[in-house]
Amino acid sequence: MPDLRPGAGRTPAPGEPAAREELGLVDRMRLGDETALESLYARHGGLIYALALRIVADPELAREVLQDTFLRCWDRCSAYDAARGRLVSWLVSIARHRAIDLLRSRPHQARLREREALTELRPEAESSDVTHTVALRRAIAGALQALPVAQRQAIEMAYFGGQTQAEIASALGQPLGTIKSRTREAMERLRAVLWPLIGPGGEAQKDRG
Amino acid sequence: MADLREHPDDDLGAYALGALGEPEARRVESHVATCATCRSVLAQHRAVAEALPLGLEPVAPPPEAWAAVRADVGRHRPPRPRGARTGTRPLWRHAVWPALTALVASLLVWNVVLQRELSHRSPGPAPGPEVEALSRRPGRVVTFAGTGRPGASARLFVPVDGGQGHLAISGLSALPRGRTYQLWFVRTGSPTVTGGTFAVDARGVAWAKITIPPSLHDVRAISVTEEPAPGSARPTGDGLLEGKP
Repeated sequence: MPDLRPGAGRTPAPGEPAAREELGLVDRMRLGDETALESLYARHGGLIYALALRIVADPELAREVLQDTFLRCWDRCSAYDAARGRLVSWLVSIARHRAIDLLRSRPHQARLREREALTELRPEAESSDVTHTVALRRAIAGALQALPVAQRQAIEMAYFGGQTQAEIASALGQPLGTIKSRTREAMERLRAVLWPLIGPGGEAQKDRG
Repeated sequence: MADLREHPDDDLGAYALGALGEPEARRVESHVATCATCRSVLAQHRAVAEALPLGLEPVAPPPEAWAAVRADVGRHRPPRPRGARTGTRPLWRHAVWPALTALVASLLVWNVVLQRELSHRSPGPAPGPEVEALSRRPGRVVTFAGTGRPGASARLFVPVDGGQGHLAISGLSALPRGRTYQLWFVRTGSPTVTGGTFAVDARGVAWAKITIPPSLHDVRAISVTEEPAPGSARPTGDGLLEGKP
């Protein structure tokens, strides 16, 4: 029975059960086994949807991103190379690119509710999570929250907004140099806090599930 | 020609976020190609950037999202092979592409045949979700002729990725106690191996799980015989149905 616990936040070492399991899913997808895609969706769909929502801020567009992401994952599963990163990172990068594309090509549709708190969204049931996944999620969210507001804004506009430093500077009416130093300081702080967790041998590696 | 600022320390984080403009991004790339220190720092920044979305609370997608993905995937879109970057996948070289096309064609047959089997099975324990799952896996269908029992027919569904197959059979009579039907894989160069035993219901119909041998390449015939319960090590009864993989 496949382990359907979310594998988010863990860098599986080769041979570690979660890594083998995910490689097994990729192998099955390559053979055309749709149930493997379904398992992947069960595992990471909530995260991908959340990311899409965060970027495009519109549920319909976010759904499009989600669907496109998994279809693209299916189409290109032969090209997935485990040596280049975790499966979830691959999914995330597909989703982020697609979402930023839509953000740029349909700006009138996206970000309509940028200022609204998206409170009506249903968070995914926590029961499917394991302890270390939740802990890592909170650590990452906490690290972002702990940044000075201006630094956090620079990071978020870059990552979730897909904007370059020049675009951010222009959008905020700030000099480019200011944005560069905010970004640099933010990334240094985040690296100091998060690398011990997500790097090899980090807390995120340990299976506390 | 020395650059004033040799290591683009200030730009590594921004690069990892994808927030650098073109000329600066290219400069970072050409620098890290030759600088192990910056490469290592960049790797850390990249890991941080990749971790950012993991701080989001997952949100349950609307149910229609998966339905749309499944419908599109089910519309006979086998994953497109890309050989080069993964390196060690000779399976996906061009020579196999025609085989994939045949696979897609047999997927169609598979689905149609399964649907027909399903519609013939009225009432009785419906295979249900098992058949649903089976119909979504690519596979082959082996059709049997009732050589020893005219009027009997069978189809064996063999998933291409291994695992259990299923046999849909009709036209056999229910057996008395102490007797059972058994399915065999007759192989060239290897002993005949059984795929399992089964019983038909009062209507002479069965839907049975079959253990498929690891390779069908050396299987030259598949047959069904009647055996003493709980089954035999080798076929002793006459072949009632025969099929060729």
